[in-house]
Amino acid sequence: MLYPLVLIALAAAPLALLARLPGRDRIAWGLALIPLAIFGLTLAQAGPVWEGGQIVERIAWVPALGLDLSFTLDGLSLLFTLIITGIGTLIVGYAGHYLGADSGLGRFLAYMMLFMGAMLGLVLAGNVLTMFVFWELTSVTSYLLIGYKHDYADARRGALHSLLVTGGGGLALLVGLLLLGQAAGSYELRDILAAGDVLRAHALYPAAVILILLGCFTKSAQIPFHFWLPGAMQAPTPASAFLHSATMVKAGVYLMARLSPALGGTALWDVTLAVVGGATMTFAAIVAMRQFDLKAMLAYTTISMLGALTMQIGLGGKYGAEGVATNILAHALYKSALFMLAGVIDHECGTRDLRRLGGLRAYMPQTMVITALALLSFGGIPVMFGFVAKELMLEAALETDLGATLSVLAVAAIAVTAAAYLVTGWRLFSNTFLGQRSMAAMQQHVTDPVPGMLIGPGVPAALSLIIPLALLGPISGLIGPASTAIYGKPLEVELALWHGVNTALLVSLGAIAVGVGLARFGEQLANMRGWPAWSRGDMIFDRLIERTLAGATALTRTIQEGRLRRYILVTALAMLLFVGVPFASFGLGAIRFDLDPQLQFYEVLAVALIPVGVLATILARTRLGAIIAAGVVGAMVSLLFVLFSAPDLALTQLLIEVLSTVFLLLVFSVLPVRFESFSAAWVRRRDAIVAAAMGLLITGLVLATATNDAFAPLAPFFLENSLEKGKGANVVNVILVDFRGFDTMGEITVLFIALLGIYGLLRLRQGKNDVAPERVTTAEPAAEPVDTKR
Amino acid sequence: MIILLAIAIGSLFAGATYLMLRRSVVKLILGLILLSHGVNLLIFTMGDGVRRGASPLVDAAGQPPPGSADPLVQALILTAIVISFGFTAFVMALAYRSNQAVGSDDLDDLSTTDRL
Repeated sequence: MLYPLVLIALAAAPLALLARLPGRDRIAWGLALIPLAIFGLTLAQAGPVWEGGQIVERIAWVPALGLDLSFTLDGLSLLFTLIITGIGTLIVGYAGHYLGADSGLGRFLAYMMLFMGAMLGLVLAGNVLTMFVFWELTSVTSYLLIGYKHDYADARRGALHSLLVTGGGGLALLVGLLLLGQAAGSYELRDILAAGDVLRAHALYPAAVILILLGCFTKSAQIPFHFWLPGAMQAPTPASAFLHSATMVKAGVYLMARLSPALGGTALWDVTLAVVGGATMTFAAIVAMRQFDLKAMLAYTTISMLGALTMQIGLGGKYGAEGVATNILAHALYKSALFMLAGVIDHECGTRDLRRLGGLRAYMPQTMVITALALLSFGGIPVMFGFVAKELMLEAALETDLGATLSVLAVAAIAVTAAAYLVTGWRLFSNTFLGQRSMAAMQQHVTDPVPGMLIGPGVPAALSLIIPLALLGPISGLIGPASTAIYGKPLEVELALWHGVNTALLVSLGAIAVGVGLARFGEQLANMRGWPAWSRGDMIFDRLIERTLAGATALTRTIQEGRLRRYILVTALAMLLFVGVPFASFGLGAIRFDLDPQLQFYEVLAVALIPVGVLATILARTRLGAIIAAGVVGAMVSLLFVLFSAPDLALTQLLIEVLSTVFLLLVFSVLPVRFESFSAAWVRRRDAIVAAAMGLLITGLVLATATNDAFAPLAPFFLENSLEKGKGANVVNVILVDFRGFDTMGEITVLFIALLGIYGLLRLRQGKNDVAPERVTTAEPAAEPVDTKR
Repeated sequence: MIILLAIAIGSLFAGATYLMLRRSVVKLILGLILLSHGVNLLIFTMGDGVRRGASPLVDAAGQPPPGSADPLVQALILTAIVISFGFTAFVMALAYRSNQAVGSDDLDDLSTTDRL
């Protein structure tokens, strides 16, 4: 039963609101049992997966659309599920301490549970559409978590950036997945993975790959979309540790790894991933080295690691698959620990600025030991789990099928990155724990936090050491099925600390030597001049948003500037453009000129009087003349109804015509007695051209559609059933009161509303805006007198 | 016949568009009236052909006259006539009221709500 795993987390969200109550840290540890239970439930049913099998589950969701809610547990899903729930357990407990003083803890943990459910759904989904739904849910919950401290402008900005970037990528992803499903003939992951050869040869393949990669690159913060992740560090630290290092940002990596057996193996996929991933890895590693904010530093190293994972998927091969799986686990362990430790330091010292920290070794010895463990794994120092993972990454680069150039470049990039990691790690450690006692440490009574707060970072940091020393066997059993899923073919994985003296080890040791050598110059490197601020991704993105909004405002001001005739002109022009142009291009062939042999001269006369009346209305010099001319038009329309078998219409039209004329005369009697032209001659010429084009378009449309008999007329139904079912001989009336009685009810409602409006306009005069005409000019003295004599 | 009707409908739309683009509120109302005539006739042509001397009235046996006119479009137009009358009446009241409040029948004087 896989879906309860997702459901439990989602259903736990309301429960998490309990953490509003006092005793928040204990309640949080209680809530941490929920992810722990999911962890246990997953392990309990994962039996077949260890042997390389998978569990598949389908629930009919929208059977009519062939859309099933399907879940799959295979090696890769299992690895992610265990990371999400395992780290999740620690983080929920840790959050209780970190946000213990904050009454919003309940809301925070509720978001976290929702996120966890979404993330579990994402990695367990067996259908790409199901997966997409959860993918978007992670974006939304991430937005809520980053914007948790919503009274800070930076938090709102960071949240908005992440939502816009990942949401935009999500749109691309959706289209990509739809194309993928079209090409594969199914949206089930299993079918897609089985259709690899068909997919790679399909015409839609390049478009699908590019769109899917856009989604993955935005989610996993690859260049040039990386800028949202440092901004997301505005989230409370537990969220950063969980979402923005261990889980959500790896969703893009997950999807690429998941689809690589089906989509990989082409230059488009492999080289794009290797190059973008490698560039992201190196660039972010160098940027990270120069940060002063603990969390910013960790954020950039996370981007770097996401780049490394992407690159390894691109490099491919046995080692690529193993490297991805191993690095995902190793990174999740040491990076979640480091984030939680950054939170501990921030929590105790009130700052996470490296320039204001220092000398904490005497005050926070336990924290220092745990940090050292996590940093050693991060730096890839031998015997740590990070070292094992880095060796696999180097093997993947050395053994890649993508050619010697890319192989050498990848090895060099990994070496540079590894050296930069060491400098970063050393700067983080020395500036925090070594050196002079800092102001921050002196001002506050700084000590190690309560033990409960150190469990969170302590467990993964310790695992980073214990796994390579004692647990490589069982962990290989987990990495093996995961690598198999990434590789697409069964893989036997035997993780080992010692592979003998080989190229990977030599490169690794060389990088460590360089890193250690550079580490003493860390502060000089950090203080060197960097890129100007305007070239930073988030600044460019802000400007892009500003320009878009300014452009939208300018456009709105142009087409909706307040004067009615501008609105009508824009509407008419839009109609001419969007209906007229396509009609003139494709529709003219549909026009038929059917001559009517029964045409009578009085019919011609009645019809001909309509354009004449229209022209007279326009050209009339007096209001009375215009009303009379319009009345002629109305009378001719009534006459046409008489001539063409519509007696009810003729009667109604005539009645309304009379009423309209009376009303018109009434209204006109109170309006100013002017009827001259307000507009300049060129405006009138322009309007005449637009109006003539409009008339031509409508004439053409009538000719093209009225003579079209592509559809069976509805009339016979009403004619045949009128007496029998409607009990009436006048079919028009039967339609009005019976067949389409609800239309008539709507009509009556409209009339009633119009009546209410008219009543309100005419009778409710006590409004405060009511200004008598002669008082208008006095009410607005100098500013802008209303010119009534224009 | 349809050709003549098409030209008449086109002229109604053209005249209505031109009048609605004017600044005088009176011309706007006249334009609306012409537009509703145009739309009604447009719906009329969308039916099952234009018939002479065959109103959609069935006899005692429930049989329509041979070549009966389309009753559906007539029902639709009947609704349309009444609604457009209600609408025109509302605009007339609006014109009357705005003239009272602003003292102008120039629509350009009504471009903002902040003037008052």
